[in-house]
Amino acid sequence: MSKKMPLDGIIVADFTWVGAGPIATRFLSEYGAKVIKIETKSKPEILRMTGPFKDGIPGVDRSGYFSNRNPNKQSISLNMKHPKARDVAARIIEKSDLVINNFRPGVMEKWKLGYEDVKKIKPDIIFVTMSMQGSSGPHSSYMGFGATLNALVGFNHLSGFPDQPPFGTGTNYSDHVAVPTHTIFALMAAFRHRNKTGKGQFIEIPQSEAAICMKPVAVMDYAVNGREQSRIGNRHLNAAPHGVYRTSGDKRWIGIAVYNDSEWESLKNVMGNPAWANDPKFATKEGRMANQDQLDSMIEKWTSGQDGHELMQKLAGSGVRAGMVLNAKDMLEDPQMQARGHWVYLDHPEIGVSAYNGCPVHMSKTPAQYKTAAPLLGQHTEEVMKEFLNMDDREYKQLEADQVFA
Amino acid sequence: MESKTSPLADVRVLELAGEVGSCAGKMFADLGADVIHIEPPQGDPARRYQPFYKDVPSTEGSLEYQYFNTNKRGMVLDITTEEGKEIFLKLVKTADILIENERPGYLDQLGLGYSQLSAVNPKLVHVAITPFGQDGPYKDFPQSDLVCMAMGGFLYLAGKDDEKPSRAYGDQAYMMGSLYAAMGSIIALYHAEATGEGQFLDVSMQESVSTALENAVQYYDLEGIIRRSLIGAEAGYGTYPCRDGYIFVMAAMGKNRYLWDPFVDWLIEDKIEGAEVLRGDEWLDPLYRRKEESVETFKKIVEPFLMNKDKLFLYEESQRRKCCVFPVSSPKDVYNNPQLQYRKFFKTMYHEALGGEIHYPGPAYDMTEMKWELSKPAPVFGQHTSEILQELGYTPDQIAVLVKGGVVVVKEDAA
Repeated sequence: MSKKMPLDGIIVADFTWVGAGPIATRFLSEYGAKVIKIETKSKPEILRMTGPFKDGIPGVDRSGYFSNRNPNKQSISLNMKHPKARDVAARIIEKSDLVINNFRPGVMEKWKLGYEDVKKIKPDIIFVTMSMQGSSGPHSSYMGFGATLNALVGFNHLSGFPDQPPFGTGTNYSDHVAVPTHTIFALMAAFRHRNKTGKGQFIEIPQSEAAICMKPVAVMDYAVNGREQSRIGNRHLNAAPHGVYRTSGDKRWIGIAVYNDSEWESLKNVMGNPAWANDPKFATKEGRMANQDQLDSMIEKWTSGQDGHELMQKLAGSGVRAGMVLNAKDMLEDPQMQARGHWVYLDHPEIGVSAYNGCPVHMSKTPAQYKTAAPLLGQHTEEVMKEFLNMDDREYKQLEADQVFA
Repeated sequence: MESKTSPLADVRVLELAGEVGSCAGKMFADLGADVIHIEPPQGDPARRYQPFYKDVPSTEGSLEYQYFNTNKRGMVLDITTEEGKEIFLKLVKTADILIENERPGYLDQLGLGYSQLSAVNPKLVHVAITPFGQDGPYKDFPQSDLVCMAMGGFLYLAGKDDEKPSRAYGDQAYMMGSLYAAMGSIIALYHAEATGEGQFLDVSMQESVSTALENAVQYYDLEGIIRRSLIGAEAGYGTYPCRDGYIFVMAAMGKNRYLWDPFVDWLIEDKIEGAEVLRGDEWLDPLYRRKEESVETFKKIVEPFLMNKDKLFLYEESQRRKCCVFPVSSPKDVYNNPQLQYRKFFKTMYHEALGGEIHYPGPAYDMTEMKWELSKPAPVFGQHTSEILQELGYTPDQIAVLVKGGVVVVKEDAA
């Protein structure tokens, strides 16, 4: 077994912050890249100041929100407003393979670190920008957040109960998977391309567009059929019953999905073949699709009061697609997640040992590595300056005195 | 533009995937890889999914199937037969990546598990997407998007307080598993090309979903709080009705004023009754905004303001005023969105078997050196079976025998 990691030797000048950007560079670090996170002590990123915090006490080095997205990385503090900061950034970029940011269009350019500038520093650089909606077009400079983007791209309109206002996912969903994974996919193709041709390039991932690629069928349906799909709660266009049903306990539900007649037979068997379920109108998928209100209320009558965990074991064991609605505590304690070793516990100087997501891709020969917890703000400034940039102590002290690292 | 190259043109991907992995295959295919979508004789289940092109159910008409299989070649092959296995192994020998969504152990039972495949092709990257992974107590639980969303902790967040949760549109657990499979396999491909070492990638959809829980796990881990959705629980953060639908207001953000103040100024400028109340410092406190009374007060004040304005106006005007109101777009709004239209995001391609054009979302990325393109629609059932078999050295006579034996299906006019 080779110890070499896929991205050994790759160096990332990471200007990203908050959501999609740090999640993307996190994966690079897990597979061997050296990720230098460029932060500013005098203006810490929003997530460092957003909870949860260790023991509920706020602090720039106490946020679990921040830490989960930034293990393995090195943090340097560079005050980009300082005239000397640009030169330090340029020296990092000169030794990097990738420059990545998720600022609004124009921020990197303002620092003279846009692609055209960076190309002069490092001609074969791969430069990735994750803009909100792309850098051309009437809305290119619009500010937005994951939660607002979900509304813009249609998730909210399409998710929620039909008799209630649009809801969405309850999270900043597009930040979490759609944008980071598309980003890594494109930049890996770019690394490959660079190895073959010697050429770097500029890649832009408009977050709105990456998010639409996750759920396009309703838009295609509108374009070809003129139909305006709307939200259908927990139902499914191609399966019934398909719902979330109350079980015993507070805020406890089970999801059950029946795609075909044989699964319906299995569900009936687990329910003990009650008379109502043998009504011929439920015998076919068309019949079940047409009578979902009744189906859902009868199933919920049956699940209510039962223990969700036992019910899931019984149903899944009989071939019925069923799963409990797990909350965060359940997730940490879930026997399957534990058996998979999903949660990684890393020790942090201020937070102590805390839970991080592991990578959901388990590679047999080069498994994701977790060497260090999220960095303290500016923890590696001196190390990166002296060991990575070979800066002598005098220059380092001078820049420090000049507040370049502030 | 013309000098751009298809960066993955030298990569071959096999996909035994259907509804779950086909998104991963599409990502390779749209950058030029030769992706072979292998269907069983009963067809990819996605072919049977609504909605259909012009609402006519047919083997080719499912929009979901059409979207996820652009640029691929299609082959119908029964890998449970001896001849089918032989063909599959010959294909594996030529492939860089295999993407599959079979239940754990199934391919091993057929003699087509990773140990057998890697013996034929040590450089192979074999990625398996399953609901719970290859091992653990739930590994044999049957798969569905709803189950993975529930067991991945995501569904719980889709509701506030005691509300029953509602699932995200569009089989997002499948999407997340597929995207991680694509990400993992291109990283592993990079490694295999550098070292000659292929490997097995075990992707759990439950784990994939668990990466989208925002800060919920850390909230429990660090503060002992089990959170649900915060959207709508706080005044100035959530969905409100307007004249032509709904908008999403993001005025409240922690103790920040920078989104709140310009929004309130706008209300006051519009002479909205009671808007001055919102100038009070108490509104900058999230706990105050979370009070039921505050939620109601805010709603009562903004409703008359919103109800005589359209979502697009509110969106564009809010940005001019440096506040943040976004439209809750319907599919029609998404299609007609001025930004997406300007960027020509939606593409069309003529589909011969359907006799018309399908509209597709465009690329998720713009790249200066690499080409993303739609060059051909999703394969018709059995379209490339014969072509691929001939590439493997089968003669037309041998192919006819395979067709007769039910090992492969060849599209009629291609036979």
